Amino acid sequence: MATAERSIEELPGFDPRDAEGAVEAIETADPLEPSSRAHGLWRALTSDIAAVWTARILAVLLWALAGSAIDRIPGPVEVIDFLTEHSDLLWPNIWVTIKSALWALSIILVAGTLLGFAMGRWWQIRYFFTDLVMVGIALPAFIWALLAVMWWGFDDIGPIFVACVSATPMLIVSTRQGAQSVDGDLQKMSTAYRVPVTRQFRQLVLPTMSEYIIAGFRFATLAAWGAILLVEFFGSEEGIGFQANYWYDAGSFTGMISWGFVMLVIIVAVDKLLMEPALRRARRWRAESTAWSL
Amino acid sequence: MTGRTETLRLPTVQVGSFLRSRAFARVALSILGGLSFLGLWAALSEWKFEPVVLPSPFAVVENMRVLLSEGLVVEAFLKSLQKTLMGWGAAMLLGIPIGLLMGRYRYARAFFHDFVYLLANVPLVVYAVISLVVFGISDIGPAFVVMLLVLPAVSINVAAGVASADQGILQMSRAFDRRASVVTRWVIVPSVLPFLLAAARVSFADSWKLEALTETFGSASGVGFQIHKAFTVFSVLDALSWMMFFVIFVIVVERLLLAPAERRIFAWRNPGGATES
Repeated sequence: MATAERSIEELPGFDPRDAEGAVEAIETADPLEPSSRAHGLWRALTSDIAAVWTARILAVLLWALAGSAIDRIPGPVEVIDFLTEHSDLLWPNIWVTIKSALWALSIILVAGTLLGFAMGRWWQIRYFFTDLVMVGIALPAFIWALLAVMWWGFDDIGPIFVACVSATPMLIVSTRQGAQSVDGDLQKMSTAYRVPVTRQFRQLVLPTMSEYIIAGFRFATLAAWGAILLVEFFGSEEGIGFQANYWYDAGSFTGMISWGFVMLVIIVAVDKLLMEPALRRARRWRAESTAWSL
Repeated sequence: MTGRTETLRLPTVQVGSFLRSRAFARVALSILGGLSFLGLWAALSEWKFEPVVLPSPFAVVENMRVLLSEGLVVEAFLKSLQKTLMGWGAAMLLGIPIGLLMGRYRYARAFFHDFVYLLANVPLVVYAVISLVVFGISDIGPAFVVMLLVLPAVSINVAAGVASADQGILQMSRAFDRRASVVTRWVIVPSVLPFLLAAARVSFADSWKLEALTETFGSASGVGFQIHKAFTVFSVLDALSWMMFFVIFVIVVERLLLAPAERRIFAWRNPGGATES
């Protein structure tokens, strides 16, 4: 279920962007050697939390080491210094990028769910759009970005357009799978017992689909950030991508990497604080209902 | 015997019903879908925009033919493919051991969890920027960032492959004192291989996009470099042509190479062979 959005062919294979889901799947497939069997200090040092924090601290150390060993690479201290020095630029540019993202994501959410649902519900629409969606996924965002710059110059519409065309297909595929996995028998039974359509939708269709929609929306969000960043980089006068480009032209790798770092923090924060809890919530009923059926 | 003669007659009898069948409708509708998109594009370029802004699909096809006959396309794609494969090779070298550890030890799973998550969630532009910062204009840059991008997919899927190895067979091998090399060869490798291919399928398109993007930022050869050239002279026609080549390449590799190979290699797991949805 974790990788439903990606496996168009229904073949196994995990998307690393959903590391949580993949690791969970691995653990349920192979519940080997629980580290809880060890004792005391050893047990504390080999616990999952200790492992995660060891990795995090090591990563920062490694970054610092690379920064001090190689001139071209700015270390973490330099990045923090740069950002505090230019803190007045921070919020206005972040806001520009977030504003584009909000616009784009609203459009993506509406267009993607509507088309995805229609494709799952009616086979005529499915066959009509399947190949087009496949082409849409294969199209690289950066060529869209270059085209957008050529078409609209520095206009605000560029980032939103590119985000929509490159991220919507992902949500469509995922939503389509969700719509197709709605239990047909249950639906027939509800119709036979004259359950109102609105109630069918609220209690049967929506719960099944929400998980797929949110999972697809999560990947679409990631794609949208990347697309917006690209357009801002190639042709814009404000935003995080523009800042990265500006400092690159100014010959400051530190500035460039710092702005990239800002973007990364925003992406991870949105994913961890908004998307993951939403996805967990959407998946919760499934665990309860399987427990009930057993 | 009678059954056989009946099946022999089937094709000729069913032409009429084929035209009314779901399979025909499927093909017809998907062709209709493609045509209406092309129609929309052609109409927009004909009546709404200047040809410089949005060239017609016919002009793009003609331009693609010219580019192809110049030999530029094949050369650029081979160059890019070479860099991508270098990245993939490095990712395999690093990712397989990490994946084996992650599949075997809970500690490794927790340790590498954040790396996998982070590397997979970095936007492609940031990777391209890193390549530019660390390597400048070179061939190693694209290969290096492709490695970073592919690494999480390889490790996660190898780990899943290890976890999917039949526990019963593993226990039996231990009971019968099979050597580790024998177990690896006959149990672990066959379990992991399909998942490696799955990793290729999951992240081939992304790795290819990243490679080309990195080339647009700083490289002197390859598909991305050509696309950047089209951008610097503001040629929408060239950009669209390269975009089409790009799409055709990705779809051909995914549909005609990776997906069938994977279906075949996974075939032993479900003998029914009903993988198509």
